[in-house]
Amino acid sequence: MGKVIRFKLNGRPVSIYVENNELLLNVLREKLGVVSPKYGCGIGECGACTVLVDGEPVLSCLTLAIEVDGKEVTTVEGLAKDSELDIVQRAFIEEGAIQCGYCTPGFILMAKKLLEENPDPDEDYIREYIRGNLCRCTGYVNIVRAIKRAAEELKFHVSRAKQTQ
Amino acid sequence: MTGEKFVKPIKPKVDINKVNTHIIPFEFEYFEPRTVKEAVELLTKYGGEAKILAGGTDLIVRMKQRFIEPKYIINIKKIKELNFIEDRGDYLAIGAATKLREIEKSGIVKRKFEALYEAVRSMAGVQIRNMATIGGNLCNASPAADTAPPLLVFEAKLKIVGPNGERVVPINEFFLGPGKTVLKPNEILTEIQIPYQPEDTGSAFIKIARVAMDLAKVNVAVALRTEGSIVKWVRIALGAVAPTPIRAYKTEEFLVGKELNEETLKEAAEIVKTEVKPITDIRSTAEYRREVSGVIVKDALLRAYERISKG
Amino acid sequence: MGSLASSSLKQESFRYIGKKTPRKDGVAKVTGRMQFAYDIYLPGMLYGRILKSPYPHARVKSIDTSEAEKMGAVVITFKDVPRKKFNIRLVSVDRVNYKDWEVLTDHPKYVGEYIAAVAAETEELAQKALEAIKVEWEVYEPLLDPFESMKEGKPKIHDKILFGNKEVTVKNNIACRLDYNEGDVEKAFKEADVVIERTFKTNRRYHMQLEPKVAVAKPEPDGGITVWTTTQTIHNTRILISQVFDIPISKVNVKKLPIGGSFGSSIQTNLVTLVAVALALKAGRPVKIALTREEDMYDHCSYQMYFRLKVAAKKDGTIIAGELENIMDIGGHQIQAYPLLGCLLGWFVSLYKWKNIRYKGIAVYTNKVPSCAFRGYGNPQITWAVESIIDELAEALGIDPIELRLKNYVGRGDLFWGQGPTVKSVVKSDGVPELLKKGAELIGWYNRPKPGEQKGRFRRGIGLGRGFHTSGAGGRISGEVIDFTGCILKVNEDGSVDYITALQDHGGGTLDAHAKIIAEELGVPLDKINIIWADTQTTVYDVCTHASRGTYVGGEAARRAAREVKKKLLEYAVRLLGDVVNPEALSIKPDEELGQGVIYVEGMPDKKITVGEVAREAWQRNWGSIAAVVSYRATSSPPAYTVYFVEVEVDTETGIVRPVRVVAGADVGTVINPDLAAGQLHGGFAQGWGMAVLEDTPYDPETGELMCRGFITDYKIMTAQDLPKVDDFIVIFANTHEPTGPFGAKGLGEAALNPVAGAVANAIYNAIGVRFYELPITPEKILKALKEKEGKK
Ligand SMILES: Cc1cc2nc3c(=O)[nH]c(=O)nc-3n(C[C@H](O)[C@H](O)[C@H](O)COP(=O)(O)OP(=O)(O)OC[C@H]3O[C@@H](n4cnc5c(N)ncnc54)[C@H](O)[C@@H]3O)c2cc1C
Ligand code: FES
Ligand code: FES
Repeated sequence: MGKVIRFKLNGRPVSIYVENNELLLNVLREKLGVVSPKYGCGIGECGACTVLVDGEPVLSCLTLAIEVDGKEVTTVEGLAKDSELDIVQRAFIEEGAIQCGYCTPGFILMAKKLLEENPDPDEDYIREYIRGNLCRCTGYVNIVRAIKRAAEELKFHVSRAKQTQ
Repeated sequence: MTGEKFVKPIKPKVDINKVNTHIIPFEFEYFEPRTVKEAVELLTKYGGEAKILAGGTDLIVRMKQRFIEPKYIINIKKIKELNFIEDRGDYLAIGAATKLREIEKSGIVKRKFEALYEAVRSMAGVQIRNMATIGGNLCNASPAADTAPPLLVFEAKLKIVGPNGERVVPINEFFLGPGKTVLKPNEILTEIQIPYQPEDTGSAFIKIARVAMDLAKVNVAVALRTEGSIVKWVRIALGAVAPTPIRAYKTEEFLVGKELNEETLKEAAEIVKTEVKPITDIRSTAEYRREVSGVIVKDALLRAYERISKG
Repeated sequence: MGSLASSSLKQESFRYIGKKTPRKDGVAKVTGRMQFAYDIYLPGMLYGRILKSPYPHARVKSIDTSEAEKMGAVVITFKDVPRKKFNIRLVSVDRVNYKDWEVLTDHPKYVGEYIAAVAAETEELAQKALEAIKVEWEVYEPLLDPFESMKEGKPKIHDKILFGNKEVTVKNNIACRLDYNEGDVEKAFKEADVVIERTFKTNRRYHMQLEPKVAVAKPEPDGGITVWTTTQTIHNTRILISQVFDIPISKVNVKKLPIGGSFGSSIQTNLVTLVAVALALKAGRPVKIALTREEDMYDHCSYQMYFRLKVAAKKDGTIIAGELENIMDIGGHQIQAYPLLGCLLGWFVSLYKWKNIRYKGIAVYTNKVPSCAFRGYGNPQITWAVESIIDELAEALGIDPIELRLKNYVGRGDLFWGQGPTVKSVVKSDGVPELLKKGAELIGWYNRPKPGEQKGRFRRGIGLGRGFHTSGAGGRISGEVIDFTGCILKVNEDGSVDYITALQDHGGGTLDAHAKIIAEELGVPLDKINIIWADTQTTVYDVCTHASRGTYVGGEAARRAAREVKKKLLEYAVRLLGDVVNPEALSIKPDEELGQGVIYVEGMPDKKITVGEVAREAWQRNWGSIAAVVSYRATSSPPAYTVYFVEVEVDTETGIVRPVRVVAGADVGTVINPDLAAGQLHGGFAQGWGMAVLEDTPYDPETGELMCRGFITDYKIMTAQDLPKVDDFIVIFANTHEPTGPFGAKGLGEAALNPVAGAVANAIYNAIGVRFYELPITPEKILKALKEKEGKK
């Protein structure tokens, strides 16, 4: 009773048959081999399943796969360009923002989007922005630091890029 | 076995063998109508077996929990005429399928309807607000729905479309009980009309919850106009303290004409406590909800008042 | 940065230890390529689902699986699994292990206990098959309260269980007990100037590790089985599978995988693993069962404890007696109730020098989710109670709480038996005075308000909590707990090093610490050390990553292996360098430019050879591999001390408490990885704050279900927005060196949590002058207490 959907997954076009009742999270993981979005609760509370749909962070555990027909889906697998880590990914490693790492893909996508919306976030802004993502290991301190650091580095890059122009 | 007493069959509140939040383990037919008309036709055709899917942040959760198993899902997100924020002169109109995140980013909501802005900001996290719609929040009719109190104090009107055309219902007549509204199975909420308030109106929303991302133990919105420090006009609404979001009419009545001072606020808080009918559940106790209703009404009034003074 | 790490002078001479280094698994984790158990998908794999008891206490009268089978599912019930009882945790030695578990049962003792299981091609099909199973039940009165449960004439939750190999009969639902006496408490109470007696009740918390439990089992052609699962101990999981299913150990292979948090919830082999094995054996195909979050919440929780605590002191602040009664509500099964009764006593007597001690511990069965270790293993619970009562004592005596603690705590030179009466040692490193002094300065201790003296609506208070945790469970005599580890270290043919250990890293960076220890000892660049994801067939035994033993015990094993390997390297280097007299004439140091360890003769720049060259030559000249296998038992388990100063703000009109500032001090000996150590304190505080003011799993008295029904909608944990700002969270480390630890290091993971709830409770008291004896201290309780206090005035 489903249909074939076509969408872009990390820049790559895919087409795949899905049932009406299939969730994006499971289709990504089980049918498309993209396992960075994790199941943590299945009911929208933990943020581990976060993906970007048309650039906006949403929860893949509450999204019917059929709904992304014609859209663009991004996961952390799609962030590193030419095997070079993204600034946010690097900042997470450098600031010790990772412990078990189960929550990490969700946080990194949120951090990416946060910095896109607000390149100069203060701590309150950061904490509000990531409150839909739970982490039981880090107490969030180093995650917040990593996002601040990534913001600094991005600013530096932008100003350098401007200078060289 | 010795000593083991039988008890009357226990009726579990959740069937743990049916719940499976990995998947939606039942089939349904899926539609993506492009117009309200189409959507209403589908609803009419399938009656009670169909459910509207907006953001899905309530609906899909409830399907996974197996509280509902609709046979037909009608996704209204692709209906352009349901997704807008529009200045209509006397009122601001918001399409029912407008996402909370868009509402929060709309300058006009933030400027003119601060209580609604604050309510939306208090809800869930960014991802959910990117999915969830304002119409979904109202139609889901949770007593704790955060957008309800601000819309109650601004005396919003809800436009509803069914097979026989449209009707407009004032929001204070919309909710009937937990999960129950005046909507008929074949009707759709299409837009929320929020009357602009005079410039000298101040409003505020406060929510008490366990953590930063949570449903309310109690929430409150107020809107206020004063002459000097005398209350000229006031609206107060609370959530999670009765089967539906409620207006605190008696408190409002008491406040009009009074000077907003500590004494008055204290008395108002006491009256609020008589107007709420909270229950005890896992989130809080009836006693606490009642007590804190008074406190946050007082706090919200003060905050709204400060906003008037600041202009 | 907001964090001050005071590094010891000794650390300056280290190349890697004490330095900030990026974690080795970082890239895999930020790119989504880290493979967790949940990410395992095998060809031909079936999906499993488990039929659970909807009732808190019942018996299956009949079960009909025919419909499910007709749908093509593979089905097993309690009739298809071995019925001999076992314990899912194998850390205790067998003779003192209580065994009351079955893989599947017809006599469930809590809502959620496993009855039957199905496997099918898709999860959806498995779910449908599950729903097609019909069961007829006989339902019993549920016992949800331990005091009710112990009364005469109540339903028996268990009847006959095993203790070692002996069958024992359970009486009054008492699972096990332990009493202990030292000195004469009655006499001391009489002689004391101040005696305080209080009762405390802790919460029943859920671990809420981000990855729910998962197991994938694959039958092998030789009758064996390969398993991927969320576990803190691959070897114990392997042995348990072997014992339960009677498969030779050599044919069971358990893979080591990263684990999405655990906090003690997988010290035991989660039952789902055994169910997956049973299904896979029956199906003859790989089976994956991933628990849903709801199922996971019905699988494990912390021990809920009821304490009666009575302490006595002399006027001068000398404590002279401590009496503790500990009733533990352990839920439907024993996991480690018996050793915990001993540990709890150990935590208690190792906090302060009570001198005269009386202890009574009783573990009681109830029809609730079975309790297991949860970061700190009872220590956070007892430390909360003791740190509360110590503050009360200080107030009654008119002595500053810091001074009272310094006078009475168990520190350097004192007898320490943190892990219970069978594991005793003498404390050799102790940073408590330093941490208390520095912490007090940083938080502004001596300017804190007097309890209950503030007026306004928002009142601030500062509280102190002090505690410790052991580093492992080792000791000089063998005792009742298994605690040893091992590893394999080999130098590859290009000078890179493979480090192979069964020891799990929960994400705290334990294995990164090991890699640094190896690089430091061996003298090779850190990035040459390769941490291998091994399995039980290719590693030597490690008991489990628990009891904060990873760095202290595992790190020492790694260091010893490195020393052996180094010895061999130097021997070969002597041969290759020709005229060098013996290995003692040689040193190794890493050369980051060459990317190699360099073996050299001091003062003779030409006499050198790289580790890579030695390894290559040993290979090319047929000298053999350069490798070591080490098995290591620590002969003590020294305390890592922690001290928390917490400032809170209480809104007296809503009862809401906000954390304002935190100073977290830790004495972990040498800090191997400052970043990751600080991370433990950040995470420990967040969990402790939740324990103090938020988390609990109440039960529905009518149905015996969890009130939250397993949905985390109503089991909240702290979000980023609920915790103090980065600059308001200060971490300090004491300048100590533990002579028995690798490079002077001790453990940390659990110590990082233990004193938090105590500190918070004391801070709340300091702010509003009300003390709470029940966790969590919710706004509801605070408001109620404040009202009552006002009413009294
Ligand atoms: C983690 C999490 C946190 C949350 N936090 C909050 C919170 O803080 N505050 C809060 O109030 N809520 C919260 N919610 C609940 C939910 O997100 C909101 O109620 C949301 O606004 C629902 O909108 P939706 O578009 O997702 O609704 P849906 O789930 O799509 O629909 C909800 C119900 O309304 C019906 N419906 C939807 N649109 C229409 C329409 N136009 N006409 C007729 N019927 C319609 C649907 O059929 C369904 O029955 C939370 C939910 C989650 C999962
Ligand atoms: S799995 Fe989607 S939010 Fe938790
Ligand atoms: S790092 Fe483990 S949950 Fe965040």
